[in-house]
Formats: sequence, C-alpha cells, structure tokens
Amino acid sequence: MSIDRRTFLKHLGAASAAATLPFSLVEVAWGLGSKPAEHESFTFAYISDSHLTHIKGTRFTSNFDRGLRKAVMEVNLLDPKPDFVIYGGDLAQLGKREELDHGLELLSGLRPPLKWVIGEHDFYLDMGEYWQDKISPLYYSFDHKGVHFVVLNSILTHEAWINQWTTPMERMLNMARLDNPRGSPFMVGERQLRWLREDLAKYDDSIPIVILSHSPLYKIFKPWNFWTDDAEKVQKLLRRFSRVTVLHGHVHQVLYNQIGNITFYAMMATAWPWPYPVSYVQKPNQVPKLTVFMNRADPFHSRDGTGWDILDMDSGAITNHYQLWLNENRTVAFDFKLKHPVDLKFQNPDKRIPPQLHY
Amino acid sequence: MKIRCFITLISIAVPLAANEVKLPDAQALLGLPPVPVPADNPLTLEKARLGRKLFEDRRFSADGTISCAHCHKPERAFQDGLPVSEGISGQKGTRNAPTVINAAYFTTQFWDGRRKTLEAQSKDPFINPIEHGLKDHQPIVDIVRRDQGYQRDFKQAFGIPPSQITIDHVAQAIASFERTVVAGDSPFDRYQFGGDKNALSPSAIRGLAVFRGKGRCVSCHVIESTTALFTDNRFHNLGVGFGRIETRLAEIIPTFRKAKQANQDIDEAILTQAEISELGRFAVTGEVEDIGGFKTSTLRNIALTAPYMHDGSLKTLEEVVDFYDRGGFDNPMLDSGIRPLRLTAEEKADLVSFLKSLTSQRFATTGVQP
Amino acid sequence: MKHRIIVFLALATPLALGDEFSQKDLERWRAEFNTVMEKGEKLFHSTLGSNQVSCDQCHPNGANTHPETYPKFQKQLGKVATLREMINWCLQNPLEGKPLPLDSDEMIALEAYITWERRGVPLAPGKH
Repeated sequence: MSIDRRTFLKHLGAASAAATLPFSLVEVAWGLGSKPAEHESFTFAYISDSHLTHIKGTRFTSNFDRGLRKAVMEVNLLDPKPDFVIYGGDLAQLGKREELDHGLELLSGLRPPLKWVIGEHDFYLDMGEYWQDKISPLYYSFDHKGVHFVVLNSILTHEAWINQWTTPMERMLNMARLDNPRGSPFMVGERQLRWLREDLAKYDDSIPIVILSHSPLYKIFKPWNFWTDDAEKVQKLLRRFSRVTVLHGHVHQVLYNQIGNITFYAMMATAWPWPYPVSYVQKPNQVPKLTVFMNRADPFHSRDGTGWDILDMDSGAITNHYQLWLNENRTVAFDFKLKHPVDLKFQNPDKRIPPQLHY
Repeated sequence: MKIRCFITLISIAVPLAANEVKLPDAQALLGLPPVPVPADNPLTLEKARLGRKLFEDRRFSADGTISCAHCHKPERAFQDGLPVSEGISGQKGTRNAPTVINAAYFTTQFWDGRRKTLEAQSKDPFINPIEHGLKDHQPIVDIVRRDQGYQRDFKQAFGIPPSQITIDHVAQAIASFERTVVAGDSPFDRYQFGGDKNALSPSAIRGLAVFRGKGRCVSCHVIESTTALFTDNRFHNLGVGFGRIETRLAEIIPTFRKAKQANQDIDEAILTQAEISELGRFAVTGEVEDIGGFKTSTLRNIALTAPYMHDGSLKTLEEVVDFYDRGGFDNPMLDSGIRPLRLTAEEKADLVSFLKSLTSQRFATTGVQP
Repeated sequence: MKHRIIVFLALATPLALGDEFSQKDLERWRAEFNTVMEKGEKLFHSTLGSNQVSCDQCHPNGANTHPETYPKFQKQLGKVATLREMINWCLQNPLEGKPLPLDSDEMIALEAYITWERRGVPLAPGKH
C-alpha cells in the first residue's frame, strides 16, 4: 500500500481530539465524496522571497544574502534528501540581472533539483525576459509520484498600469513598493486561465493537485497586494478535484487557510518578515482566522521571522514544517476529520505563547 | 519542579576577599541581580565551605592529581590561562575553561549549554577520560563517606550520616560554593549603577558608548537599566574555529547524527574530538540552525580570563575587538548580528578600556593582568 | 450717566484676546502638519541608510512600529527608550546608516508619519 498509514494516523491523532478512527470510517470523511488517488509519499523543500539587492559593483545587501545562504546550507544538510526544491519567487529585489545572477550563484550549491516560480520583483523590470531566458518558463506543469504540480505566474496585472510608466525601473519601483497607493492588483489573466483549464482536463478528479504561485490565490489584503484579483476563477477550475493545495510566497509570514476543497499555505521568506495586515488599523483585512500567527521571539534580530519550509506530501495532502529561524519550528498539517489545516501544537488558543501574541 | 528562589542579604561591612568563602553581600553584587538559587538546594555557608573543599580535592581523579581547581584556579580568576585545558596526564581537551566567577547566572552550563545547572555540570568532568579520568563517581563517594573530616562536614551541611552521602550531595555542595563565587562591583558598575561619575576613565566612558552603539555589543552582552549580566544566555555562531569543519560539514553531520542515535556519550566526544567540538550547540540540540553556535560569555572580569573564545584562539582583548570589527569569520551559519563594524583606532582602544573596567573589586588581585 | 454709556460701549467693542484662533487657523495648522507628515512619508519610503533598504520594506504603512507603546524598555538599548531612539537604532542596524539628531526636522517628520499611520490606537506605554 502506497499511503503511509502510520503517518496518516499520526496526523489524525495529533490534530483531533478523537482517538485514531478505524480506517474505513475515515475514508468517508475525505473531501467531497471522491477519494484521492493513492500515490507514493514524498518530501520537498521550499525556499522563497530572498529579495537579493544590488547596491553597487559587486556589493549586495548582506542581510538578504545571508538568509539565502543559510537556507541553502540547511536544505543541503537535510537527511533524507528532499525530492526537489521549489524556489517561490522574488529572488531579486528589483529584477536586475546582477541580482538574478547573484541568486543563481547562491543557489547553484543546492544538491536537490530546483523548480522555479516567478515573483513580481523578478518580473517587472524586463517583463520576465531574463527569467525566461536564463531560469525557467513563466508557467508550466509537471507530475511527480502521482501528484500533478502546476506553476502559475500569478503576479500579472492590467496592461494599462504596465504601460503608463516612462522607464522600466520606474515601473519596477512602483510594483516593488508594497504599500503603494498607485499599485495594481495581481492576477493570473485570461490566457493562463485557458491554459490551466486545458492542462487540468487531462487529469481525473482523484489526482492530488498542487498549485505553486507567488501571490496567494485568494484575497487577504488589497492595499499590500496580498491578493489575486481573479482568484475565484482559478478556484472554480480546481473545484472538481478531491485534494488541492496551493503553495505561495509573497506574504513573508505564516498564513494558512481552507476554501472549499483547497488548502492554502504561505511559505516563509528568507529575507525579512512582513507584518500581519491586522497591524495596519486604517484598512479592513481578511486575514484567515485559522492562522496562528508566526512566532516572533526577537523582532530586532535580522533572522527573526524568516526561514523556509519542508513539505511532506502524503495521501494527497501536504504537511508544512515551517523552519522558523530563531523561533520554535511549527508544523501545520491537513486534518482529515476537520477538513482544514491545523497547527499541530498551537491551534488551540489556550496553547499560544507570547511570541505569537505581541503584534 | 524547579522553583527559583532568590536570596538577597543585608550588607556586611567587611569587604569580601577572593579567598574567603562568604555569602555574597549587596556591595559585591552591585550591578548584578540576586544570585539564582534552586529550591532543592538552598544556599548555606556550610554547604559552600564544604563545596570549596571538594572543589580543591585532588583525590577525585584517576591518578590523584586533578581537582576542579586544576582548570579553575582560584588564584587565576578561576580559570587556567590556557587556550584549551589540560586534564589528567597532560591530555589536551578542545575547549577553553570558562571562569567560575558569575557562572551562577548562566541558565545553562558549558560552552554549548549541555547541562542546565551548576550541580549537573560539576559531575561531568570527574568521569571524562581527559579531565579527571575516573570511570564512575564511586571513588568519590567512597572517599567522602570514609574521610572523617568530610563525614563531619556533610553532617553539618546536609544533616545526613556518611552512608547516605551520594554524588548529588557532592554536586550540591560544589554548586553552593560556586554560588558564592559571584561579584559585580567593578568600576563600570560603580559608574553605571552606583552613581559615581568618576569611576570610569574618559576612554572607558567613550568605550561604553561604542559598546552600546556602533559596536553593537550590547545585543548579546546585555546591559539593562538596573543590572548587567553581559550575557543573553543564548548561542551564537561567530565563525571562530568554523574553518576547521566548514568544508566537511556534509560528512561530519551525518556521522554525528548516527553516533547520537546509537547513544554515544556526547560529553566525551565533545572534548576528545575537535570536529565534534566545533559543532557547538548543534551537538546538544541537533538543530541545524545551532551549528557552530556557542554560548555568549559574560564579559565581567574579562581582563583576567585570557585567552578568549571557546577554543582560546584569541589571545588579547585587542585581538577580540579586531575579530568583531572584521565581522567575525564569515560562513553560511554566521549569526546575522555579526557584521563588519568599521571602528576607528580610537574607538577600538576605548572599547578595550571599557572591557578592562569590568573587573570586580573582589577579584581584582587574582589573575594575571594583561 | 455719560460714564455708564462709555463703559457699555467699551464692553460692546470686540477685543482681540491673546490666543483666540479661528477655523482658518486650524486649517492652516493642519496643512502644516500634513506637509511635515508627507515629508516623513517620503523619507520612510526612501533608502536612508547605506544598503538600499527602506523603512517601508519591513513596515508597510508604518505597520508593526507600535508608536503607541513608547517609551518602553528596549532590550537592544538596555534601557527605557523612545520611538525616536528606536528609529535611530533601525537607521544604524538594518539600514546600516547613520543616526539622526533626535530633534532634527527629518526625525520629526518620520515621527509624524509613523504616528499618523497609527492614529486612533490608544496609548499603551511600556507594552512589549
């Protein structure tokens, strides 16, 4: 049997109050009636949002270099070795060739194979030209051990906004500024939606799907572009599948949510943490209530609130082992009984510790 | 189980001399919080005096030559002035002997924090093959049970007959002694907390400003508004000695993990195998983030405890300041608080003056001044 | 009889009392504040240090600066500190730059912007 029953029951036992249920009863609880196809379990790593910043000549902002170097070293020391590593986007800060080349150099030491997702900081200087040339296609899909992965370029935006700027750097700077009142919302766009429909058409409802995008494929906080405008259209295309997970970067914080049959996990940034939208009181937000906020043991330490992720793919669902530098690591797993992700230690409000509370 | 209780005592008029065993008084503690004392080992003078005797007893070693005081010499600020210590038969270890002075304020003991209490720490060197070299604690227990002087002392300190003395009583007595080896009351303390604006030289005053500002030292070597421990009790990778293992980490880590799974004794491995020693805190927690991390030392009495760092590789305070000024030894696990400081020559000299002002009045006559 | 009329007239004449201000004054002063606050916003979003990092990267819209909690004990400075001292800490550390004089125009502008983005939140001095 390819599903690791011990691991499956471990998640169940940890997450819900009930003792381990008989296997047959649990099968009925699986999402929307249709059981995911069995597949071989595997592990992969996720490094994201390094924002390497070129200063001058061969000088780069050292703090951001350090975050990425640390992640690369730690991934290389993983035992057993993960099947592959995803780079979640925003490798560069301003999309400059110096920055992308520097990032490729720092990542060249990674032992497992690397797969790429583009972020807006990589894209808007040259509209993704260098990225496509040197690094990866902007959107594509692949299969791994019975799971279908789709990479989307979810950080596109309106043509009119793109065309209004007088220089590429002006355009890039305006997209780079998170709280820009002259910003523009992210979107996947019609062309990719058509491509996605065709791509998914080949797969049966029972095949586990993982979508990799930079921006979250749901709506959290528009002022900071924690947002994808056509998120509902993407979600609609995914509705028929029994097990779907979206992994995204961009938000630089622990976030997780469940919308219908789709589980969403935010990946950590290696560069710096963003505040939660709840801490900007002048505008309303839709931060998922499910999320237990990330630990901030020492907000003044450069590596606090940064890290990377180890992901276990098992029974069509993903367990996210957040590697939180300088803080206690957190594990968020899909609870097959509650049908949404839960933090295995801190989900219960009584279990929260001070570093999760002082925002 | 452990409830901390703190003891503050009324000031005694007689100043504390280095060699007397006395419970710490308010003047000696200027700049320090009350000494933490565990609920299961209340501090008494009897225990402390017994502890001192045990601390200096050379019979607690395989060949009768090594006592705790061999590496932690009371007349040398409770350390030995060597880069790494030498135990039985002159065998060299891998780590620099930390001073006992103010060790009571650490929340973990050893450079990698592998023991939580002074009591627990005191038992390890006895049975480490390159320190005291005993196979187990039994010889110690035999001696204290049979020796008439010890019989009397244990009766006084613990109220127990000889047959009930265990190695834990020995540990409790030694820890009690170590809890009296504490002192603040340095020129810095008098300036900062005692209101004596003449206690520091102009250079040291400038050095204090560098320490808190451009030098960034205060991030880990803590100074607060009413006390200064000069340690954050955390573990940081500065890159000291890291060059010895960096290129071979992919080999060393899996080997170490296997050994730990097979329950190999890490205390012995750490002091006998240089590579394991360089792993630092990782050897204790297994967290990759902790590779090459070592505990922040207190800087109190730092002028008396050369050479510096876990491997004693920096000989003088000037070398230490230069090391930090360069940004440590760069490596992927370098603590991100470490970066080039770009200090001027005057700032460096002032910083060293400041560090020299951290010598407690009580221990000023011990140790070899640089 | 004459005296009383004079007194009455004297009382009836509007006197220019020292500090009385009008709606126009309020608007003008508000505009002064806004000018400084907007200058602060520009500074907050510019690279004030030596490494291309700007305040808004970690603090979009000034979020997570918690100006309402100052003065408070700041571990990094080892004492009870004010918002301005922490702005200087950020300038020197994450931004690898030079501190500003505590009473400089730039510092005041930054403080105006940061507190403006946090308007309405009750004071909580000392809160970690």
